[in-house]
Amino acid sequence: MSGVLVIEDDDRIRRSLMMALEDEGYRVRGTATAEEGLAAHRAEPADAILVDLMLPGIDGFECVRQLRRDGDATIVVVSARDDTHDIVAALEAGADDYLVKPVAIKELAARMRAVRRRNRGGQSNPSTMVVGDLEIRADAGEVRLRGQPVQLTRTEFLLLCELAAHAGQVLSRQQLLQRVWGYEFGDERLVDVHVGRLRQKIEDDTSSPRRLVTVRGLGYKLQR
Amino acid sequence: MRRFGLRARVSTIVAVGALALSTAVATLSYQFIRSSLLDERRNVVWRTAYYDASYVEARIGGPDTDYVQVLSSFNPGRGRTPVLVVTGTPYRLDVAGVDIPTNLARMVEGGQAARQVVHTPQGPAMIIGIPLSATTQYYEIVSLRELDKTLRQIGLVLTLVAGGVTIAGAGLGWYAGRRALRPLASVAEAAEGIAAGDLTARLDPQAEPDLQRLASSFNNMVDQLQQRIERDRRFAADVSHELRSPLQTLAAAAAVLERRQDRLDERTADAARLVVEEVSRFQQLVTDLLEITRAESELDLSEVDVLALARDQCKRREIDPAVVTVLDGAGDATWVADARRVEQILANLIENAERHGGGVVAVRLSQEGDYNVIEVDDDGPGVLPEDREVIFRPFVRGSTAERRGDTDGAGLGLAIVARLAESHGGRATVLDRPGGGARFRVELSRRTT
Repeated sequence: MSGVLVIEDDDRIRRSLMMALEDEGYRVRGTATAEEGLAAHRAEPADAILVDLMLPGIDGFECVRQLRRDGDATIVVVSARDDTHDIVAALEAGADDYLVKPVAIKELAARMRAVRRRNRGGQSNPSTMVVGDLEIRADAGEVRLRGQPVQLTRTEFLLLCELAAHAGQVLSRQQLLQRVWGYEFGDERLVDVHVGRLRQKIEDDTSSPRRLVTVRGLGYKLQR
Repeated sequence: MRRFGLRARVSTIVAVGALALSTAVATLSYQFIRSSLLDERRNVVWRTAYYDASYVEARIGGPDTDYVQVLSSFNPGRGRTPVLVVTGTPYRLDVAGVDIPTNLARMVEGGQAARQVVHTPQGPAMIIGIPLSATTQYYEIVSLRELDKTLRQIGLVLTLVAGGVTIAGAGLGWYAGRRALRPLASVAEAAEGIAAGDLTARLDPQAEPDLQRLASSFNNMVDQLQQRIERDRRFAADVSHELRSPLQTLAAAAAVLERRQDRLDERTADAARLVVEEVSRFQQLVTDLLEITRAESELDLSEVDVLALARDQCKRREIDPAVVTVLDGAGDATWVADARRVEQILANLIENAERHGGGVVAVRLSQEGDYNVIEVDDDGPGVLPEDREVIFRPFVRGSTAERRGDTDGAGLGLAIVARLAESHGGRATVLDRPGGGARFRVELSRRTT
């Protein structure tokens, strides 16, 4: 475990977050700019990265985009901005989660524990699943659509695994939050945005999805 | 007393003016026509009477003259009655005609020609008296009925004209009032738009040259209003941002203090605990205040599974999600709403019931008319009638709530509910629950995406 990277330009916030996370038992590094953060992550990949949105130079959204391109570390945006637009934009840029400042350290720690649990694997799903023309190899972390490999982030992959393991059944947003993100409770927009991103990769027409369908009032279902 | 509208007043003023003017014109015309007709008539009557008198005079020379024969020998024309008085004895063709008034007779007997207008059962008449000799007088009674009739008709026509002009004046006033007020309707429309939150509504100053000043000052006012609202909004956003950053530092530092309490001496640990508690309360307060400011922003509408939201809020507080029910049988409560606001309303109502109302008894979701309705029943002592309005104000707690001093909320929960409901075109109320306890009811106007 290479620990947590905090990218935050406010000195005091960065220091206090690092102290608090260290007390929670994490190995923590911190940088004040996105450029330094990206370099630090490339030099030594972190498991989880906390990113502020308002950064000098490269802003938080772009930073998230580049981090996502570089790998599938868990990216959590911690921002003072609480507009739905910002939240959705950050999630669409590739963030796995979005927390609005001020974040209680207990909550942050709970999210980090969930991340750690998730990254340790602990997947009880069968190693290979075939749903229609989708083939999912959980152990190898591979997904093929009609034989063609599909690039998914870790969160998208876990979401697809969960839906595939219960193909034909409806999973509620809260169930997905618990099983994929490991959160007892959370923001359901997380699920919606990730389902949207997943659809872009596995659906032919995202405006009328055939594989990953919305069941009104209940949740999502992967069609058998 | 209800004041008359501007249009009614303009109309009345124009009508009264028209009435005065037309009455004056009609009266003057009538007087003028009447006097000239009378003059004309008088001249004709005089001339004819003299002519007739000379005719009669020429035929009454002898002592045995048959006076009645003389009178009937000429035709004085319709409406003329000749009377001949010889040494006090009147001779006339009609049996019961108009008597010659005494003072007229006296003047004529005195050798002076005279006339007098008298009123007879047949209408007004003019009597002309002409002395023929010391003992003989000739009188002619001329009916003025025709003239009177003509004057009456003229009077009637003039009255009708005056009345017509008055009515036309009232109509003109009404129409002019409407024309004058029409640009104000666009002002009203723009003002309504602004009241409904559309700050882009403006008036076209070119549209009505006379109202240019109104239009430009109106636009100016809206500009200033918009700027002020924008400034307030930006200020709230700036304050929120500026508060969030130090609070984040405080929250993280407080967490470090809390975790290391046992390494501190007792006094420092006590102080640290106070700091930690206050930071958490401060955090809640700021979050609540931000929630209230957010109620001012635009709705973010989507289809929201409110049943799932409500059940989730119950689960978070370890309440059996079965308390949540959907009325009207559909079994599903997918509303077009602002998900965040609905979630916050549910969270605050359930939190309130848990904290002050002895726990949640039921959460009901229903649709009534144009509203989606959320009702949360609790098992507490209920809310006193005098508290039912004030509990929705910021920083007010019901008389039954516990003393401040513990780590309870600052009393913003229900105020947030009320603000969010209003921002959603609805309202929040509290009622008695049948069987005891309070029933908090939130109505949200139904929307379409």
